[in-house]
Amino acid sequence: MGIEHKNIDLSVKLGSTSLKNPLMTASGTCGYVDELDDFIDINKLGGYITKSITIKPRLGNDVPRIVETDSGMLNAIGLANIGVEKFIKEKVPLMGRYKTPFFVNIAGQIIDDYVAVADKLAQFKQITGLELNISCPNVKQGGITFGTDPALVKQITCEVKKVIRDKILIVKLTPNVTNISTIAKVAVDCGADALSLINTFTAMVIDIESRKPVLANRTGGLSGPAIKPIAVYLVNKVYNEVAKPAGIPLIGGGGIRTASDAIEFIIAGATAVTIGTASFANPDCSVKIAEGMKNYCARHKLSSITELIGSLK
Amino acid sequence: MEHHLPKKGIFNASVLQNKNLGDKFYRITLELEKNGKSVFSSAVPGQFVEIDVSRLALPAENLIPPQYSDAAKRNIILRRPFSFADIVCSEDSVIVEILYTVLGPATMRMKTLKSGDTISLIGPLGNGFSISENKKTAILVAGGMGAPPLVHLSGLMKSQCKDMEIIVFVGAKSISELAFFDLKIDKLIKTKVKLGEFEKHNIKTHISTDDGSAGLKGFVTDMLKNWLIQNKPDAKDTVIYACGPEAMLRASAAVSTEFKIRCQVSLERRMACGTGLCQSCAVKCLNKEDGSNFYKLCCKDGPVFWSDEVVWE
Ligand SMILES: Cc1cc2nc3c(=O)[nH]c(=O)nc-3n(C[C@H](O)[C@H](O)[C@H](O)COP(=O)(O)OP(=O)(O)OC[C@H]3O[C@@H](n4cnc5c(N)ncnc54)[C@H](O)[C@@H]3O)c2cc1C
Ligand SMILES: Cc1cc2nc3c(=O)[nH]c(=O)nc-3n(C[C@H](O)[C@H](O)[C@H](O)COP(=O)(O)O)c2cc1C
Ligand code: FES
Repeated sequence: MGIEHKNIDLSVKLGSTSLKNPLMTASGTCGYVDELDDFIDINKLGGYITKSITIKPRLGNDVPRIVETDSGMLNAIGLANIGVEKFIKEKVPLMGRYKTPFFVNIAGQIIDDYVAVADKLAQFKQITGLELNISCPNVKQGGITFGTDPALVKQITCEVKKVIRDKILIVKLTPNVTNISTIAKVAVDCGADALSLINTFTAMVIDIESRKPVLANRTGGLSGPAIKPIAVYLVNKVYNEVAKPAGIPLIGGGGIRTASDAIEFIIAGATAVTIGTASFANPDCSVKIAEGMKNYCARHKLSSITELIGSLK
Repeated sequence: MEHHLPKKGIFNASVLQNKNLGDKFYRITLELEKNGKSVFSSAVPGQFVEIDVSRLALPAENLIPPQYSDAAKRNIILRRPFSFADIVCSEDSVIVEILYTVLGPATMRMKTLKSGDTISLIGPLGNGFSISENKKTAILVAGGMGAPPLVHLSGLMKSQCKDMEIIVFVGAKSISELAFFDLKIDKLIKTKVKLGEFEKHNIKTHISTDDGSAGLKGFVTDMLKNWLIQNKPDAKDTVIYACGPEAMLRASAAVSTEFKIRCQVSLERRMACGTGLCQSCAVKCLNKEDGSNFYKLCCKDGPVFWSDEVVWE
C-alpha cells in the first residue's frame, strides 16, 4: 500500500539552494566537517551545519561542561573552537569531499567579529551558507545578548548580509525571549533567507550535597527530548506569525530523536530539521530518520515531503 | 573519492556473563557482532567504549540501594563510557570484558543485564597506553575503581614484553574496593591479600589502603615513592602507567616529575558523546613552547595522556 519509496521526494528548498532531504546536523553537536565519517555517509544528509566559528580561537569554559538531566542535558561548552583562520586552512578544504551543502555557524562578541568572520568565509565556494548564532547562552559577552535585543539583531543581520554575497543567511533564534516572533520578524526584515530555531534554554542543575551548580559555568543550555514540545510550539508560532507571511523557510530543531519527532516539526511549519543531542547517543540517527520519513510519506500517500510543511490543522 | 576506512563504529554485543564481584562491583563479558572484528582487533588497553543503557529496565524497587533511589528515576539519554578490562579476538569472535562499579542510574541498569541480552556499543574510542618495548621496568599504579584498563595493560605487556619487569601498585579506600582484582584474603592475617588478576601473570604487587584494611596503610603514591627511593630504577629505562581518581593521578604526575620518570595517565571526564563531536570532555594542557594553556579532548586525544602535558589543578 502507499507509494513506493523511490517515488517519494524528500528534497526541500532552503532559499536559493536545494537540500536532498530535510535532515541537517545541529551546530556544535557534529564537529566541524568530517567527524561523523565513521558512522554515516555524510552525503546522505540534507545539509551540514558546523560548530560555531569565531574570529579568534576560543578555549571554552572550564569543566564540567555538561550534565545529563531528566530526558535532556545541559551544556556550557563556551564556544570552544579553533578560530576562523585555522578553520579555513584545515576544515574548509575537507568540505570538497562531500556533495552535501555546508553551512558554517558563526559567533562573536561584538558585531565587527561576526562581520569579519562572515566576510572571510563568504569567499569559499565550498560553503553554501552561514548560520548566525545570536543565541548562545554560555558566553559572558555576545551570544544571547544579541539574540534578545531587536535593535542588535537588526544591526547584526544587516551588516552580515552586506558582506556575504550569494551565500544563504540563516539566523538562529534563542527561545530565551518574551516573544520570539518579534526577533524573527526583525531578522527577516533585514534579509535573513531562513530562520533556525531553537537554540537551548538557559538552565541550572544543583549538586545538593555541595549546594553548588554542577557546571563550572554555573548555568548551561538545556537540549534534548525535554525541550521538544516547546520547540514544536515555537516553530509553529514563528511559522504562523512571520515565516509563512514572508515566505521564509524555517529550520526546526530541539530534542528530535526519531522520524516521528522530525515530522512533527515539519507539520508545525519547519522546512528542514536539525539533529543535535540525539547524535551523541546515536551518531547515525539523522540518516535513519530520513528513511523513517519515507515510510511516513508512503503511508500517508505523500509524493513530496513539501506537502507536509506547515500542514497543521 | 578517497576510500574511508572506519576506525570505530556502532555495534551490537550480546552479554555472555554479568557477574557480581561483591558489593557494587561487576564484571560483564560481551561478545561483539562479527563485523566489529576489523576495528576491534587493533584496540589497545586504555581505549574505551560508549554503552547505550537507555533502553534497559531498572532493577526491582527492593534491589535499588536507598542512596540511589532518587537518581534511579532519571531517564537516561546519553551513553556511558567504560574502559576495556580485556579484549580477546579470535578467528570467529571478539570478546570484550568490562569491569564496572554501580554508582548511578546507568550502572544500576547495567547490573540487570543477563546472558543472552543485547546491547549497543560504540568503539573502540580514544587513544590507549603506548607500550614502550625498549623499557626495562614498567610501573603500574592503580587507584581503586579506576583500575580496569591497567588489568588489561598488565596482561598484554606480560605476553608482549617478555623481558620487561612489571611492578604493580594498587591503592584503594578500603579492602572492599579491591573487588576488581579477584581478591584473595589470607586465612590468618586479614590485611594480607593477594590479587588474582596480577598473580595469574606472576606480577609483583604492592597494596595499600587508606584505612589499612588491606596491605599497607596509606596512599598508593607514597608507597610508590618509597619504592623508588629504595630501588632506584634507572629513570630512562622506566615508565609509569597510572589510572584512578584525579587526585591520585596528580600525585603520580608529581612523582614522575620528581624522579624524572615518564608517566602516562588515564583521565576521566563527563562525556556527552565520547566521539569528538561535542567538546564537553576538555583536558587543560600545556603548550611547552610558549607556556600557554589549551584544551585537548579526553575522548579523542585521550583518555591516556603523558602526565607532563596535563595542567594539574
Ligand atoms: C574514559 C572513561 C572510562 C571509564 N571506564 C570505566 C570503567 O572501566 N569502569 C567503571 O566502572 N567506570 C568507568 N568510567 C566511569 C563511568 O563512565 C561512570 O561511572 C558512569 O558513567 C556512571 O553512570 P551512572 O549513570 O551510573 O552514574 P552517574 O549518576 O552519571 O554518576 C555517578 C557519579 O559519578 C560522577 N561521574 C560520572 N561520570 C563521571 C566522569 N566521567 N568523570 C567524573 N565523574 C563522573 C557523577 O558526578 C556522580 O557523582 C569511565 C569513564 C570514562 C570517562
Ligand atoms: C554540546 C552542545 C554544543 C552546542 N554548541 C552550539 C554552538 O556552538 N552553536 C550553536 O548555534 N548551537 C549550539 N548548540 C545548540 C544546538 O545546535 C541545538 O540548537 C540545541 O541543542 C537544540 O537541539 P537538540 O535538542 O536536538 O540538541 C549546542 C548544543 C549542544 C548540546
Ligand atoms: S565527549 Fe564529546 S567531544 Fe569528548
